[in-house]
Amino acid sequence: MKNQANPWLTNNLFVLGLGMLPALLLICVLLYFTAWAFAFSFTDLALVGRKAVEWSWVGLDNFERLFTRRGFLEALWTTVIFVFFSAIVGQSVLGFLLAALLRGSNSSIKTVVEVCIMLGWLLPDIVAAFLWSATTSQTGLINSLIIVPLGFQPVNFINDYALPVVIVANIWKGTAWSYLLFSAALDSVSREVVEAAKVDGATPFQRIWLVQLPIIRPHIATNMLFITIWTFTYFPLIFAMTGGGPGTQSTTLAVFLYNQSFARGNLGFGSAISVAMLLIVGVLSLFYLRLLREPK
Amino acid sequence: MMLKRSLLTTAAVLSMVAAAAIPARAEVSIMYAEWLASLVEPGIEAFEAETGETVNAIKLPGQGYDQRIALDLSAGTAADVVQMDSFMVSELASAGYLHPLNEQGAGWDQYQYYQPGLLEVASYEGNVYGLPTDTDVRMLWYDKSNFEKAGITVPWEPKSWADILDAAQKLKDAGVQYAFILPAGTKQAEAATMQGFYMALLGADVPEGDRNRLLNRETGQWIGDSPAIRRTLELYHQVYVENELTPADINYATDVGAAVRQALADDKVGIIASGSWEDACLWDCNGVNLPSREERDAQVGWTPWPGSGEPGTKATTNISGGWTIGVNAKAADPDLAFKLVTTIFDVDNFKAWTLANHRMAVRTDISESPEYMEDAYLAKATALAADTTGRDTIPGYQTVSALVQQATADILDGADVETVVQEYHDALVDEFGEEKVMTYE
Repeated sequence: MKNQANPWLTNNLFVLGLGMLPALLLICVLLYFTAWAFAFSFTDLALVGRKAVEWSWVGLDNFERLFTRRGFLEALWTTVIFVFFSAIVGQSVLGFLLAALLRGSNSSIKTVVEVCIMLGWLLPDIVAAFLWSATTSQTGLINSLIIVPLGFQPVNFINDYALPVVIVANIWKGTAWSYLLFSAALDSVSREVVEAAKVDGATPFQRIWLVQLPIIRPHIATNMLFITIWTFTYFPLIFAMTGGGPGTQSTTLAVFLYNQSFARGNLGFGSAISVAMLLIVGVLSLFYLRLLREPK
Repeated sequence: MMLKRSLLTTAAVLSMVAAAAIPARAEVSIMYAEWLASLVEPGIEAFEAETGETVNAIKLPGQGYDQRIALDLSAGTAADVVQMDSFMVSELASAGYLHPLNEQGAGWDQYQYYQPGLLEVASYEGNVYGLPTDTDVRMLWYDKSNFEKAGITVPWEPKSWADILDAAQKLKDAGVQYAFILPAGTKQAEAATMQGFYMALLGADVPEGDRNRLLNRETGQWIGDSPAIRRTLELYHQVYVENELTPADINYATDVGAAVRQALADDKVGIIASGSWEDACLWDCNGVNLPSREERDAQVGWTPWPGSGEPGTKATTNISGGWTIGVNAKAADPDLAFKLVTTIFDVDNFKAWTLANHRMAVRTDISESPEYMEDAYLAKATALAADTTGRDTIPGYQTVSALVQQATADILDGADVETVVQEYHDALVDEFGEEKVMTYE
């Protein structure tokens, strides 16, 4: 590494160090906050009340609670469902399909679709939440435009299908990212390779499945990595739309963490939840990073 | 190139101006919920005119307000003056976040009029930490037109929970969507505890000892399990699960308050468990554009919460809360901050707001004024206050309240009462230790 650097720099280690300072500072700040949460997770620190001042160390109690009390495991399961359907199945597959279908298609159709997709991405989470609750409530758009005119009883989607509704909302909200990433990735596949496959008699499906997909595999892994992390810790849309309810039906880990830390004021236990989330996301990231490597 | 340079210069100048201006922009800052604007904002105006200082007014949405205040105070980013729910005061004061007001209060000529009991609620270890804005009573509101549709006589006077459930069933059968809105779950926060759970709890069992409360006030222990808690959760179970009198979604709507008001305006509500502020809030919490007294009376009525009907329980129940305004312990200039508080509470401003919003007065100079005493609604509501009680405003209540909300959420989610009580008990033990939790057989 050092050998490749500019000889002037290698002779001026002070300048080199100075250049690295901002990065070093940033890393320190990041580590500081992580260490903070980590340390808190072994305490009974509270947001308000006496324990906000006179907290004490409680060892592994908080982590034990994660598994012995109801809440964490249920929220984890809800989060897994949420991430799997909204990020992996929904955003990723839909984003890819849209990118693949719209490649080379008529530019005006493409523009319309792109504007629609981008709109979801650009809207603030809270606006999207109100939009979707207006769409899916008992008096909402779907009921008044489709269900009731067809002669059915109105369905209270957000009450009866809280988790599916937030999943659909999140797919709508986040597909733009996958679409953009996959569009760029597909553009990077050289035309000759695809043409060659076509000449060899590959069907359009085979061209996508056997030629383009393997080439953009690293992009898929990158995309998965990003959207899994985002979706796993995603909070505003779900909280604004359903508050984690009805009951606890749409309580993901992020909502659970919020309720524990700020509604109950239990910062120690909340930190333990965040440490657990960090570990889970860390393991998932390692898995995706392995996928990123080229196959031997 | 030219453009780029001028852009950069502008940006640099702007950021310098911003950096120089921000600390100087406001000498005093205040955080308040938007529904209190009609009290706070005229006060700010008067304060600015009188002192020449600028006030940085931070108006916040009502939903999630308690959490925001707690978080900002603990992080040291809260305003100099903060509005807070009275139940939060002892929690925030015990954490050292608030500035005691006794001394400054003694030097203010209107301090003497505050009702001692209400100052007590806003106190911690002998010091007053907040001045109350209003107090309240709780009751059941009902939509008269829907009652007529369901064939229930108005005025409605339920004598037991069975009467409420019976009326709600009739309303449901008559096609009323939200037959009985009993606040539940975590998104409604303290409203679920106060307007719903505690009102039922107080009438669920005999008042002997503290069998119908969350806290045993003699021993200072939280009650982890009792017949009253079980009966109350049973009521939630009947309303939301067994009889499905109301879909649970209203408690988790994107904006709960707006959803309830809209549903009422659309004639979709039968009964709402809420409080005295609804006389204005059902239309607009800030008391503007209210329909006339006659129109309101024609649309809704109210009745006290009855007891459960079990032998020996109270005939009607009530619990009072209210809001306060206090000073941040980290306020740059506590005297100036207190000056802002007293300007907001200055009798002219405070009295006008109390009367316009039909709030229950917290000061004798207002409550004994002829205008207040002539208000028929307030006179009737105030009668309920004769038999009221307060929350268990000791540190830890906020956590217990959150656990109560979680318990009702779990009922909505389909858990049975036995499981929910067990979890509630265990969670209390987790938070306070075995010796701080007790059980009534």
